[in-house]
Amino acid sequence: MVRPYGRWIMPNLRKVAGTKEVAITGASVGAVVTELVKRYPALAANLLLDGQIRPHVIITVNGHSTDDVDAPVTEFDVVSIFPPLAGG
Amino acid sequence: MNGWNGKILEIDLATLTHKSYPLDMEMAKQFIGGRGLGARLLWDLVGPEVEPLSPENVLIFTNGPLTGTGYQTSNRFSVTTKSPLTGTVLDANSGGYWGMQFKKTGYDVLIVRGKAQKPVWIEVKNGEVAFHDASALWGMRVFAVTEKLGQDNNKRNVLCIGPAGENLSRIAAIMNDRERAAARGGPGAVMGSKNLKAIVVEGSTRPEVMDKERYKFLMYETKKLLAASPLTSQALPEFGTVVLMNIMNNIGALATRNHQQTQFEGAEAISGEELTEKYLVKNQACWACPIGCTRISKTEKVEGEGPEFESTWAFGAQCGIDDLPAIIEVNALCNDLGLDTISAGSTIACAMELSEKGYLDSDLRFGRADQLALAVEAMAYRRDIGAELADGSLRLATKYGHPELSMTSKGLEFPAYDPRGLQGQGLLYATSNRGGCHMRGNMIGLEVLGLPKLIDRFQVQGKSSFVILNQNSNAAIDSLVLCKFTNMGVADEYFARVLSAVTGVEYATGDMIKTGERVWNLERLYNNREGFTAQNDTLPPRLLTEAPTDGPSKGWVSKLEPMLKEYYRTRGWDENGVPTPKKLAELGLAELAEASYR
Amino acid sequence: MIDPRIYETFREIGEDLYAADMISSHGGNLSIRLGDRVIIKRRGAMLGRLKPHDLIETRLDKNDSGVVLASTELLVHRAIYLNTPALAVCHCHPRTAVAFSLSRDEIVPIDNEASYLLKKIPVVTEEFASGTPQMANKVAEAVKNYKIIMLRGHGSFATGQTLDEAFMWSTILEEACQIILAAKTINEPFKEYRAMSEAYSKF
Repeated sequence: MVRPYGRWIMPNLRKVAGTKEVAITGASVGAVVTELVKRYPALAANLLLDGQIRPHVIITVNGHSTDDVDAPVTEFDVVSIFPPLAGG
Repeated sequence: MNGWNGKILEIDLATLTHKSYPLDMEMAKQFIGGRGLGARLLWDLVGPEVEPLSPENVLIFTNGPLTGTGYQTSNRFSVTTKSPLTGTVLDANSGGYWGMQFKKTGYDVLIVRGKAQKPVWIEVKNGEVAFHDASALWGMRVFAVTEKLGQDNNKRNVLCIGPAGENLSRIAAIMNDRERAAARGGPGAVMGSKNLKAIVVEGSTRPEVMDKERYKFLMYETKKLLAASPLTSQALPEFGTVVLMNIMNNIGALATRNHQQTQFEGAEAISGEELTEKYLVKNQACWACPIGCTRISKTEKVEGEGPEFESTWAFGAQCGIDDLPAIIEVNALCNDLGLDTISAGSTIACAMELSEKGYLDSDLRFGRADQLALAVEAMAYRRDIGAELADGSLRLATKYGHPELSMTSKGLEFPAYDPRGLQGQGLLYATSNRGGCHMRGNMIGLEVLGLPKLIDRFQVQGKSSFVILNQNSNAAIDSLVLCKFTNMGVADEYFARVLSAVTGVEYATGDMIKTGERVWNLERLYNNREGFTAQNDTLPPRLLTEAPTDGPSKGWVSKLEPMLKEYYRTRGWDENGVPTPKKLAELGLAELAEASYR
Repeated sequence: MIDPRIYETFREIGEDLYAADMISSHGGNLSIRLGDRVIIKRRGAMLGRLKPHDLIETRLDKNDSGVVLASTELLVHRAIYLNTPALAVCHCHPRTAVAFSLSRDEIVPIDNEASYLLKKIPVVTEEFASGTPQMANKVAEAVKNYKIIMLRGHGSFATGQTLDEAFMWSTILEEACQIILAAKTINEPFKEYRAMSEAYSKF
C-alpha cells in the first residue's frame, strides 16, 4: 500500500494518483516507487531525478523513515511518500 | 568596526530618562549580538534576587551585526529578560520589520529598566527618544494599537503588548509588526509589569558593511543556494510550516491530547495541505527574506497571518481538535491579545485532561473546538477559569495537585514533537536553557527529515553530540540574529563568512559555533546561579514511563538518563550539570563565573 | 560493543572508498564522534574490508585501553573533534587531488556541483609525518573553516555531521579535480557559466 502525501508542485502526488492510497506490490521500497511511477508517469517529475529518488523526498515504511531503496516490504506494509518538508 | 552601531540605549521608566553609551566591542566580538549579547548583559544586570515581574528585572532588546544589512533574513531582533514563566534566562526572537528598523535607529541594544508610574509608550526616532502617555492605549488589543501608532512596514514599526501582557499573564508575548511574536517564556508580562505598552522605532542609519565585494558575493551565493534547495524554494513557500503535520503524525511523534497519544486521527484535517487548499489567501515574507513561509489565511470570521505548525498543533492535536477554521480564528485571537500560542494551547490541553480526570471543575473537554476562543479570551483577561490558565500549565496543574500532567520542561510547554518517538528531541527539551523548546536546537532535521542525513530516531548512544552541535549552532544563529530556515539551504560556514565580511573581524566557521557554545554555557551559568541544577533537566513522568500503546512509536519512552549523562560529559560539565573550570576557561568565561561564585 | 548500525556505515563507506580508488589497501581512515568518545579504525585494518572488530572506541580527551589498538592517526582525528564542530571525519588519498596539491596552494573547482558546495579547497603543508601533534594541529586549524582540506602530497581531510557527509565532500573534491585535469587536457578557452566565480578564491 502506498500513500502519496502532499500536493507538492503541480502535478501533485495525490491529485495525480487521484486517491490517497494505492495498492502496489513490490519487494522493496525502490520497487514500489518504480511501480508507482510506472502506473502514474506524471509522478516521475516529483519523485525521481536521473532515475534515482529525489533528494529530500521522504519515505516511511509503517511510520519509520528510511533512505534505503533496498529496504524490503511485504504486502502488509504501508509505504508513505512525502515531498520535501521543512518547518517547525 | 562595521556591522555593529556600537551604541547602547538605556531607558529608565521610573524616571522617564534615557542615556546612550558605547557598546563594549570586546564583548560584542565575543557574543556577536542578539541572544548572545543579551545573555551577557543580563548576567550583569539581573541577579538571583530579582523577581521576574518586579521593576528590577530588565528587558534587553538586541539586534545583530548583520541586522538591517539586507543579507537574507537579516530582519530579526531578540529580547532577553528573566522569564516570569520559568525563572530561567530567556530570550525570544521575532521577524518581520521591527528588528531591521530598530537597527536603523543607530543602536545595537535597548535596555529598559524600572517601572513607569502610569502606562507609557516609547518612541525612538534615530537618536531621539520620546515618552508618551499610554493611558488611552491601555486595554487596547494588538492590531488596534499597531495601527493607531502608525505601523508602516518599511518606515515606522510598532512593537507592543496586548491585554495578556497588561494582565501579567506569564505566557504573554511581545508582538511586533502586528502579527509577529517574540512569544515564548512570557516576555509580554515583563513589559506589562513595567507599564510599557509599546515601543515604536523609526530610523535612517544604514549599517555599514566592511568588505562590500565579499559581502555581495556571499549574498549572491546565498540567493542561489536558497533557490536551489527544495526546502526553502518550494516546501516552505508552498505549504508553510504546517506541512509537518502529516509526517509527524505518520511517524507517531505528533503529541496528541496532552501527550496521551502520539498520533491524531484528525491530523489530515488540520494539515498544511488542507490549510493551503481551503483557507490560504497568499504567502507573505519578512523583510529581506526570499523564502516567504508566512501564510495569510482567511475564514468567515478572520483574515490574518498564520497559523504556524506549532500553533495549529497546540490548539489542534494537543487539544484533540480537528476544526481548522476554529484553530485559525483562535490563532488570530492570540495574536490580537498577545499570547504565546504554544503555551496557550498546551495549557488548555492540560486543563482539559485535568477536567476529564475530575481534578478540575470546568467544562473544558478534549475535542471541544467551541471552547477554544472562550478559554483564550478568559486567559488574557484573567476572567473565571482564565485566571488559572493565564500562568501556564505547570502552575495550573500544580495548583490542582497534579503537576505531572503539565507537559513542560522547566515550566515551558513543549512544541508538537513527542520525544518518545524522537530520542534526541527529548534530550533537547530537557536541556534547553529556556525550557521545553524546539528553537534552542531541533533534531527533526536529522531524526525525521534526513537533513543532512537520516539518523535513527530511536538510537540513544551518541545522540548527545548531535544535540550539542544543534544547540551551539542555533545559539550562534540566534546571536546573528538570522532566521533558522536559511540554515536549511545555507550551511553555517556562509554565516561565518558573511559575519566576517560585514564586521571586518574574521570568524572561522568553527569560531562561530564556538561562540554558540560560549552563549550556551553562559546561559547555563545564569540558570545555575538562579538555583537550577541537574534535577531540572528532565521531562514529565508521562514521557519517561508511559509508552504509547499503538503507532510507530509504540513501546518507546524517552531514555533520558543515559543520554543526559553522555550529554554532560560531552559538554564538559560535571555530573551535576555544572560547567567545569576547564570548559569555562576554554570559552573565556572563567573570570565571569569566578566573580559570581565568590 | 559498537552498535551494528554504526559498523554497517563504516563498512559501506570503507568499501566505497576503496572501490573508488581513493585509498590504497591499508590507507585512509574514518572516524565518528559519539559524545565524549571516538570510534575509529583499528591500527593496520583494511578500510575496504572492515570487520566488526576492526572498529575501536576510545575516549576523546585522553588515552584509555582502546588507544593502543587505534589507528596512528587518532591524534589528528581527536584534534579535529576538540577544535571544530565536526562529528565525523573522512581521510583519504584522492589521487588527482593529491597531484594538484603538489603545485597549488588552493584548489578552486570549475564544475558546477563543487563550485556550489565547496567554492575552494585550501592546501596546507606539514613536513612532520602523519600522526604527529604538529600535523594534527595544522589540519584541525584548517578544517575549522572549510568542509574539506588537502594536506600537500598526502591526502584530504573532510568533516561532517555524519560519515556520509564527510565522504560526500571527499568524492566531490576528487571529481572536481578530475574535471580540472580533463579540461586542461582539452586545453580550450573556458566559457564561464558561473556569475561571480572570480570571487571563489576569497571564500
